[in-house]
Amino acid sequence: MQITFWGVRGSYPVPGAATVRYGGQTSCVEARTASGETLIVDAGTGLRALGNKLLRESGGAPGQYHVLLSHVHWDHIQGLPFFSPAYIRGTKISVYALLTAANELDQVIGGITRHEFFPMPLEAVPAQFQFHQVEPGVDFVIGAFHVTPIALNHPFGSVGYRIDGDGSSWAYVADTAPFTEVLHKQHFLRGPEPLSDDDRVALAAMRDALVRRLAGVDTAVYDTHFLPEEYARLPHYGHSTPDHALAICAEAGVRRLVLYHHAPMHGDDQMDQIAATYLAKGAGLGIEVLTAFEGMTLPVGVEAAA
Amino acid sequence: MKLRFWGVRGAFAMCGREFLRYGGNTTSIELVTTAGQRLLIDLGTGATELAKQLMTCEFATGQGTLPILLTHTHLDHIQGLPFFTPFFIKGNKIRIMGADPPGLSLEATLQNQLAPHYSPLNGLENLAAGVSIESFVPGVTIALPGFTVATAAVPHGSMWTTAFRIEGDGKVVTMLSDVEYPNIEDPLPEALALARGADLLIHDAMHADPDYELRRGWGHSPARAGVYVAERAGAKKLALFHHSPDATDDMIDEVVARTAASTAVPVIAAAEGSYLDV
Repeated sequence: MQITFWGVRGSYPVPGAATVRYGGQTSCVEARTASGETLIVDAGTGLRALGNKLLRESGGAPGQYHVLLSHVHWDHIQGLPFFSPAYIRGTKISVYALLTAANELDQVIGGITRHEFFPMPLEAVPAQFQFHQVEPGVDFVIGAFHVTPIALNHPFGSVGYRIDGDGSSWAYVADTAPFTEVLHKQHFLRGPEPLSDDDRVALAAMRDALVRRLAGVDTAVYDTHFLPEEYARLPHYGHSTPDHALAICAEAGVRRLVLYHHAPMHGDDQMDQIAATYLAKGAGLGIEVLTAFEGMTLPVGVEAAA
Repeated sequence: MKLRFWGVRGAFAMCGREFLRYGGNTTSIELVTTAGQRLLIDLGTGATELAKQLMTCEFATGQGTLPILLTHTHLDHIQGLPFFTPFFIKGNKIRIMGADPPGLSLEATLQNQLAPHYSPLNGLENLAAGVSIESFVPGVTIALPGFTVATAAVPHGSMWTTAFRIEGDGKVVTMLSDVEYPNIEDPLPEALALARGADLLIHDAMHADPDYELRRGWGHSPARAGVYVAERAGAKKLALFHHSPDATDDMIDEVVARTAASTAVPVIAAAEGSYLDV
């Protein structure tokens, strides 16, 4: 299995000279088995270029595509209306997302193509869409991929995925805050709120489940939006630092960590510094740390070790 | 009056080396009078870059005032709204003005953009600045500090957008973006009226002329549509705008060269970057 990064940015797309090397498009990763089966994780603006590539590969023939969503914030779904295979009649697109993130997923996804936002409503798009609601802890199978949803700590809920296939495994852990200062629920946070005992129990349980699900995973792609000093100012924004990710990966025995969901204001030069800093920190813990850039393809598991 | 394009791209923000000279941000245009009064058109991703500059002046301390006009609420014209940092500073006074989309209000539309499932901001009421959402009916003339803005509805595929004629410092900028006339060769009278004698006409040029036939009816203009408007209305300069996401810098160079060769009106392609004197 291999994974390719089509969008690595968080929040919103960032064009310009400062993002040409790491890329400015938002969250989208493609997993592909040796036999060519694909799975798309998140549908941020990176999805547009991926869709164009998939359409070239299919020669314009209709296909079946599977899209796992971590949650339905704009930066994770904004690419969907620009996914060119959707405009081929006969194409089928299955979208999977967390129950609490979108009680009526078809309306939420259809909502971004209502006439006030986009020229063509979802009903008029030639592809057939199917919506599936995932629940943390309830595994499912998509072709060659075995998918395990994992609850994460993010405003209104988010879900990560462990993905096994071709005898290897990787995990997508975005978006998530760490599991200490703030428990994200279904209301707006102006700042960190005091934790109750129940909140602490819930956070510990979420962290334990994440570590358990990540056990032995070859590669973890992790929301490391913030540097520590940025996180200290905005702990209620729902994102982690590379240090938080390293701690989880060390505990779970993850071989390789990929820093992902880069903050819009982190330009290429700063990303180089972050990459170097955490490559060294990871080495100290026996974890290979890579920093995602647009277009990066990584073999995972068996293939990576070979 | 000075003008700066912060976002010139249509439909989709484009990143990468092939888009550096004209810029990949979606639409946002800043106008400033000699007295320093400011007006913003559209809140595409380009607005997030302007926001960084505003946060180095009075907007950082909650002393800023800013009127924002929206051409319409398609995502490429509002996707910078949740990240426009002056909204997060208490004391700033910001007006967002636009027409109601068919069948619902402007406020409900922007509220839905910030709905809890889509955005952690969880609603307009959580913007710390004083933000007023003001609907108008295209056709009205709007008086703003330093500017007078005439408006008209123009067709944009299955809906319509608001076009603007903005007068300030005795100069006129006309904004005709996201528009497709039923007959490209014969622009609608309301468009011509707004562009009459304009010092700068900013016009939708989403499609290179040869591509237009395949995309007729999609709500956008070929590059030559702006030429017809500029010539008929006596506009002094034409800026091609709302570049296709597929148009690289080199492709836009070609469109500008071909368009400029076809008319006596000076033609430029809108590009992110510096302040232009109107």
